Amino acid sequence: MSYISYQFFLFLGAVLLGYTVTPSKYKWCVLLAGSAVFYWMNSRWLTVFLLCTTTAVYAAARMLDSMEEGFSLAKGHLEREEKKRLKALVAGQKRGVVICGLAVAFGLLLWLKYGAFFAGCWQHLPHHWRLPQPPVKTRMFLPLGISYYTLQAAGYLIDVSRGKCKACRNFAKLALFLTFFPQITEGPIGRYDRLSAPLFEGHPFEYERFTKGLQRIVFGLFKKLVIADRVNLFVSAVFEESGTAPGGILLLAGILYTLQIYAEFSGCMDLVIGCAELFGIPLDENFARPFFAKSVSEFWRRWHITLGAWFKDYVFYSISLSKPFMRLSKFVRRRGNDFLGAVLPAAMALFFTWLGTGFWHGAAWKYAAYGLYYYLIMLAGMLLEPLFAKVCGSLRIHRQGRAFSLFAMGRTALAVVGGMLLFRAESVSEWGTILAGIFGRFSLRETLASVLRYDMDRKDFAVIAVGVVILLVIGILQEKGIHVREAIARRPLPVRWALYLALVMAVIVFGAYGRGYEAVDFIYGQF
Amino acid sequence: MDRLIEILEEIKPGVEYKAIPDLLEAKILDSLKIVQLVAELNDEFDIEITPIDVVPENFRNVDTILALVERLSEE
Repeated sequence: MSYISYQFFLFLGAVLLGYTVTPSKYKWCVLLAGSAVFYWMNSRWLTVFLLCTTTAVYAAARMLDSMEEGFSLAKGHLEREEKKRLKALVAGQKRGVVICGLAVAFGLLLWLKYGAFFAGCWQHLPHHWRLPQPPVKTRMFLPLGISYYTLQAAGYLIDVSRGKCKACRNFAKLALFLTFFPQITEGPIGRYDRLSAPLFEGHPFEYERFTKGLQRIVFGLFKKLVIADRVNLFVSAVFEESGTAPGGILLLAGILYTLQIYAEFSGCMDLVIGCAELFGIPLDENFARPFFAKSVSEFWRRWHITLGAWFKDYVFYSISLSKPFMRLSKFVRRRGNDFLGAVLPAAMALFFTWLGTGFWHGAAWKYAAYGLYYYLIMLAGMLLEPLFAKVCGSLRIHRQGRAFSLFAMGRTALAVVGGMLLFRAESVSEWGTILAGIFGRFSLRETLASVLRYDMDRKDFAVIAVGVVILLVIGILQEKGIHVREAIARRPLPVRWALYLALVMAVIVFGAYGRGYEAVDFIYGQF
Repeated sequence: MDRLIEILEEIKPGVEYKAIPDLLEAKILDSLKIVQLVAELNDEFDIEITPIDVVPENFRNVDTILALVERLSEE
């Protein structure tokens, strides 16, 4: 059941009705039942894998809590040295429990999502090693949202082990946290300390919140159906001829594909956050106007925020602050290289972080290349920063000025388009072919002459241009700290409703619907 | 306090550290700079800052960083 289908909206209405009429104490049960039905309808027997992960992290977190409680009781009667020894012992036991819990969660993810990839890599190992053939040969079926709920479950377990939150004592409530139906398909990846209370406490129906949720849903539909799905017509047609299309057309397709992913993924997040808002549940934001970023690292703090934050908190810091990395940093600084000593742990941890981020997107080498593409750009930025500051200083370039900011935004956007082309390409070599085509076959005349040959006419381009201007104006206002929805809510009723109706009409009239009025599948929904 | 300011100055010079209430919101400290800072603080004050301690509340300004260093020095 896709989020963009009348079945989903009927289902959403039914769950909302059930949630509204149920007493506060049991409202979370309605959400759990709705999430279970939604998951079962999408994954059928594959639901068993979700249950395995839930059970593993539930049991592991409960054990961690028991260990911590046992330690708290025992330490009161102990001397300082004994306390220290016991603390170290308990820390070791807790680490073992966390590793077991994570092994189940990530083991299932690796087996189901990456099994065929590993098997393929195995088969490429030299034949004279006479290795046995791996059992997994074809792609496995994937349970819905496995890449998202695995990270959410792992984050919960690590947070419990770090003492950030207590273990959930109710298995059904933990299951709801991991399967809440609006967010299971594409995130945002939630954190237990922020999401658990709003999920489990019942919220009465509020008209204002309800209308705000609906606005957000319609705005998400506008981004997805009017912009993303329309752009998809052009992008798909061009990439079918990526080997022969003019360079300018390929570049335009790269830019429009970047727009497509942004409009689609952020539109889906608007829809998801809007759905949760109907129930009074605030989800974490996943986008914060990424194309206003002045560097690639800032871009990733504004794009797919919850994924970046997950990798930062649980991978990057865990590696860069680990004892071996800190020792290495100390060693290098003692050798007299302070700069390298300071940068080295971060640079090495970033490598694993971006390799993981890349592979999270898919089981293929091109996704590893996708992660490492951003890693190399960030590494170059880190290492060249002192030189860059020196050059800007000597040329008297004001780095906080408007002109430099615009230049930095354009530079970042171009780097992102390069990354998106790699994301779209079938392989790294096809990416190379596309880049070679952009630079090798670039002709403005040919581009202008052939731009209307790729399934989009002038009207389509005009609709996209208007859509982009709307997104841009909203983005600029939000960057200035203006809350657009609140500003609209303060307008007189006729103005407000005229705006809402215009948005709904835009979705109905200008939505790019496919055969049978079905929307294009979400790209990020396939993880 | 003075040594902490010196370390912060080495990581990112030209900032009035004592006057800024939120170094994270002001985008002076990001995750890469926090790792550099942690390496320096561990070395200088002979403490061990772990990922558990790397939360916004501990790195918001010089006072909170100093409080973290003092707490870990006592442990």
